[in-house]
Amino acid sequence: MPTDITHTADAPAFRPSPHAKRGGLRAGQARFGILLLLPALVAFCLIVLSPFVQALALSLYKYTISTPEPIFVGFSNFTKLLSDPTVRGSFVTTAIYVFFTTFFSITLGLAWAIILNEPFRGRSALRGISLLPWIMPATVSAFIFGWIFNSRYGVLNAVALEMGLIEYPVAWLSTTSGAMMAVVMTKVWLSIPLFMSFFLAGLASMDREQIEAARVDGAGNYRVLKDHILPHLRPVLLVVIVLGMIGNLQQFDSIYALTGGGPVRATSVLSVEVYRRAFEQWDIGMAATIGVLWVATILPPAYFYLRQLMKGAE
Amino acid sequence: MLDLSTRSAKIVFFGVAAIIGFFLFFPVYWTVISALKTDQELYQIIPTAYPHKPTLSHFWTALTDGQLPKLLGNSLFVSLSSAAFNATLATYAGYSFAKYRYFGRKPVMMFMLSAQMFPFGLLLITIYPMYVEWGLLDTRLGLILSYIVFALPVATYMIYSYFSQVPNELIEAARADGASDLRIFHTIVLPISIPPIITVFLYSFMWSWNDLLYSLTLIVSDEKRTVAPGLLLTYLNETNADWGGAMAASLMAATPVILGFMFLQRYFIQGVTAGAVK
Repeated sequence: MPTDITHTADAPAFRPSPHAKRGGLRAGQARFGILLLLPALVAFCLIVLSPFVQALALSLYKYTISTPEPIFVGFSNFTKLLSDPTVRGSFVTTAIYVFFTTFFSITLGLAWAIILNEPFRGRSALRGISLLPWIMPATVSAFIFGWIFNSRYGVLNAVALEMGLIEYPVAWLSTTSGAMMAVVMTKVWLSIPLFMSFFLAGLASMDREQIEAARVDGAGNYRVLKDHILPHLRPVLLVVIVLGMIGNLQQFDSIYALTGGGPVRATSVLSVEVYRRAFEQWDIGMAATIGVLWVATILPPAYFYLRQLMKGAE
Repeated sequence: MLDLSTRSAKIVFFGVAAIIGFFLFFPVYWTVISALKTDQELYQIIPTAYPHKPTLSHFWTALTDGQLPKLLGNSLFVSLSSAAFNATLATYAGYSFAKYRYFGRKPVMMFMLSAQMFPFGLLLITIYPMYVEWGLLDTRLGLILSYIVFALPVATYMIYSYFSQVPNELIEAARADGASDLRIFHTIVLPISIPPIITVFLYSFMWSWNDLLYSLTLIVSDEKRTVAPGLLLTYLNETNADWGGAMAASLMAATPVILGFMFLQRYFIQGVTAGAVK
């Protein structure tokens, strides 16, 4: 927000009506403001806040399908989990997934935004249809990539066979690295449009004269990109990295629909691991414990993002 | 902003554009043509690049034989309701945050915003037993309410950043005329705020329409199931994978969001990127 309209210098100061009781109007206004907020706040507390706090608390309990009531066990879930190789594996899987999805979707989103920022005929139409992957249900995109990666009739195998890259069809989704590649590709495909939109919004505020001046000084495309466009996009880039990391940490739908976390646990990121523990093994306490550790990983980027969002709010 | 007059610049530019374009659009193309192929043509080791005998039979089968119409209907009901609910709550809350000053305003706002980082799966662990206790498990109402988790925080922020640009003079002038705050909001502010409200509506609609995690868990019975878990449970059992049907159903499942998007794209992008791009 470039200027804060609520506090421009030339705005006439608000004078309360002479009939109003002194101070009464302001107090009444504040009360009305709180009243407007109340429905959202109540819904938020019931559906978001209270489950969150309860979930944090559940991490201190043993609560499985064989214990009808939660039993308080202190931090023993945590000690048990930290020595559990499957959970450590899940953190590593998540780190790999988040790194590759964030890296590729941002790089490709940035490149696509720079390309769609050049003037050419049909540009706005192309921008529009570039958003398609983003608005598709994640389940649908999992179907699409599941079909492309299909071991028998998938187009990926067909192309690789024709080009002589492989001798026999590969069951991509049954191998550890193939499944990871597929879930990463699906998420990258889903995310490019959103990041492209952020970068396009950033590019729109670019000072064209500055670039023309650099051109006159003999700067080529590489220097224009490196010295002018990328520095200009730096703030957007930071937001997008954080947003991307949060989104990728949260991603469940496309992974679960494509691989179900498998083969074995190869794509069992934290979101899938929590779901499996809670709703397939009904080990609620452990699921909550993993969830708490997961919150700890989301917290640093989240803090950063919130600070950026609240900058404009006085 | 790039100089594309030289040959090498052109090659790099169009080369990169072709690769990314292919990655973005080939899957869409492949889905469409796979849905249009006959089963015989679909299940070949080396597939055809386009349907030689295009047929709408997969679409027809999905619409007449399967669960799809019911799934789409359920999703439509749940998503429209939760979008209306979220948009209403977010509009009042966003206006309150933008135009009123009271104790605790900023921390509450910050806190609500931070909720989009609470892991959705973690919340579900306690929403589930809570719903069992309240009798909301396997009800449409329960699912509608649960989508507050996804949409309300960001929706409120989107509306807030719009309202904070509405000039205060507008409100103060009406106030000086003796209009009550409630009337000012409904007769003066609301009519000029339709686009952002629709944006927020669409944002919430998209979340609930696309969601798999919550709908898979909170809805148990077949007749209330929504489209994302429905697709998963209908078309992709390991034993019997109907890929043509899956592609056709996928396209139909994506249609409502795509339609909504076509009309509101510009507002939508502005709303979603608000706050990040200044």
